[in-house]
Amino acid sequence: MAIIGVKNLSKHFKVLNRHEGLLGAARDLFSTDYRLVKAVDDISFQIEPGEIVGYIGPNGAGKSTTIKMMTGILKPTEGKIEVNGNVPFKNRQKNAQNMGVIFGQRTQLWWDLPVIESFKLLKEIYRVDQETYDHQMGMFNELADLKALYPQTVRSLSLGQRMLCDITASFLHNPKIVFLDEPTIGLDISIKARIRELIKELNRTHNTTIILTTHDIGDVEALCSRIIIIDQGHILYDGDIKRVNQLFGAYRTLRVQVRPYKGEQTIDQVRQTLVERYGEDRDFTVRSREMGWINITFRQDEMPLLEVLNYAMSRLPIRDVQIVELALEGVIRRIYEGALQ
Amino acid sequence: MFANLVHYGRLYLRLEAQYIKARMNYRVDFIVSSIGMIFSNIASLAVFWVLFHTIPHLAGWTFEEILFIYGFYLLAVSPAQIFFDHIWQLRYHLMEGTFIKYYFRPLNMMFYYMSEMVDIKGFAQVVLGGAVIAYASTQLGLTWTAGRIGLMILTLFSASLVVIAILVIASCAAFWTLQSYSILALAFRLREFAQYPTTIFDGFFRFLFTYIIPIGFIAFYPSQLMLRPQEASWLIYISPVVGIALFALAYLVWSVGVNSYSGTGS
Repeated sequence: MAIIGVKNLSKHFKVLNRHEGLLGAARDLFSTDYRLVKAVDDISFQIEPGEIVGYIGPNGAGKSTTIKMMTGILKPTEGKIEVNGNVPFKNRQKNAQNMGVIFGQRTQLWWDLPVIESFKLLKEIYRVDQETYDHQMGMFNELADLKALYPQTVRSLSLGQRMLCDITASFLHNPKIVFLDEPTIGLDISIKARIRELIKELNRTHNTTIILTTHDIGDVEALCSRIIIIDQGHILYDGDIKRVNQLFGAYRTLRVQVRPYKGEQTIDQVRQTLVERYGEDRDFTVRSREMGWINITFRQDEMPLLEVLNYAMSRLPIRDVQIVELALEGVIRRIYEGALQ
Repeated sequence: MFANLVHYGRLYLRLEAQYIKARMNYRVDFIVSSIGMIFSNIASLAVFWVLFHTIPHLAGWTFEEILFIYGFYLLAVSPAQIFFDHIWQLRYHLMEGTFIKYYFRPLNMMFYYMSEMVDIKGFAQVVLGGAVIAYASTQLGLTWTAGRIGLMILTLFSASLVVIAILVIASCAAFWTLQSYSILALAFRLREFAQYPTTIFDGFFRFLFTYIIPIGFIAFYPSQLMLRPQEASWLIYISPVVGIALFALAYLVWSVGVNSYSGTGS
């Protein structure tokens, strides 16, 4: 029995065609010149209990609009949507009782209150009994070690600390479904890893269904077994992550800082070192876009990332390395080009 | 239903207790704004006092009677100020997109939204309004019979609903325009007219303030009933209906607004 069922769902917005300049703005006041924007256009999918689904797509693809319809903020223009047996727009409150939401970077905790007070208020709001509350809080402590943050006000937390608190808070009432919208945006690598670990554990212990929207392919790779890719309101791909994994991993870029840096000479040195190991005909590029940093882009299936890294480290005077995050846009372009057919 | 009411009641008390605790961190702000509120009211009273030094009557109403109306006005606007103060921030929340968080809790949205703020200095205003009424009624030799007290409570209740409704409706314009400040400011200005006897206005405004934007029901008509029952129009007897109907309308406008808001991109 699917916990979320979406069938032929569409959301269209009427948007005013704006004119330029002051005169244009005056004309817009009385304009009836609308165009229809199909933010979500005829999408269907089903999600089973306990799944972690990555719902991904570039900016403006329709991700947020879909989430807003699933959480009951927006009324669909057409189509059916059922979450946990409810129609979200009609039964918003009932739906909310079984749902946790992290939306963008906006905290839902009480800004001026100590963290622990927010948890206590949520306990009241969701009518969580004392036993469940103690159990959940104990678990959060084990997983995220938040005790030290409890007496601090939410406003004084760092972005990463706040996100940890927000995520655990969204699991407090033991919801059946949790929507996480960009939970790791703007965070550094170590806290990203902690958050991913936390989400995975929370999913495992309570079999919570999680819908994750993100730009960060790292999140998807770490958490999801299934992904839905949406672009321009349409579903581009829905299925096992393994098939698209090759696309994500097809090209990787390693950035290295070599000292001493002597411009072209150093770039050639790096290129020669790699040619020595892999030969002339391998598909890789070495170039510098920024003083002191050299980008090595290669195919993951021909040259495993770690191998390249180890080899370069052993042969070159490398001071610093970075593994560049993959851009979703590139993956989507490749799907359009027929990479999955 | 009853259990629900208890739940909301308890929740409200806890939320406000926390809110007040948090506000206490900004003690200076609290003290300064309370002093400001008291002084602005004293200034209004001073205007009346000066006014009545030059003219003995205002449309047949004496200084003490005007004081009574003013006291009633202060009491009537206090619930809106204390419990619905967050409505002033609505347009910011809508513009910034922070409003969507209010959709995610299993709570009535108006309740949850309004519960995030309580204006403590409004309580000082209640004390001031009570004192003004006590002084004026002593001067006027008004006796507080049980019937009169009952009438006072009933009319105050409906007057408060009228104030709240006007404020909510004006703020809800932000759901569609995102720039409701001018409308809100207009509503706030209009509310000030409620301090005066509606009878001092000529035909058009009297009609406007009675039937269209019923600010006459905020202080004047109920006070008339207390002070000069023989002059009071039949309209005052339907004031609870006016209050409840207007609040229902405001709630409807709010609900339509909430359902038509789509948020900002994230």
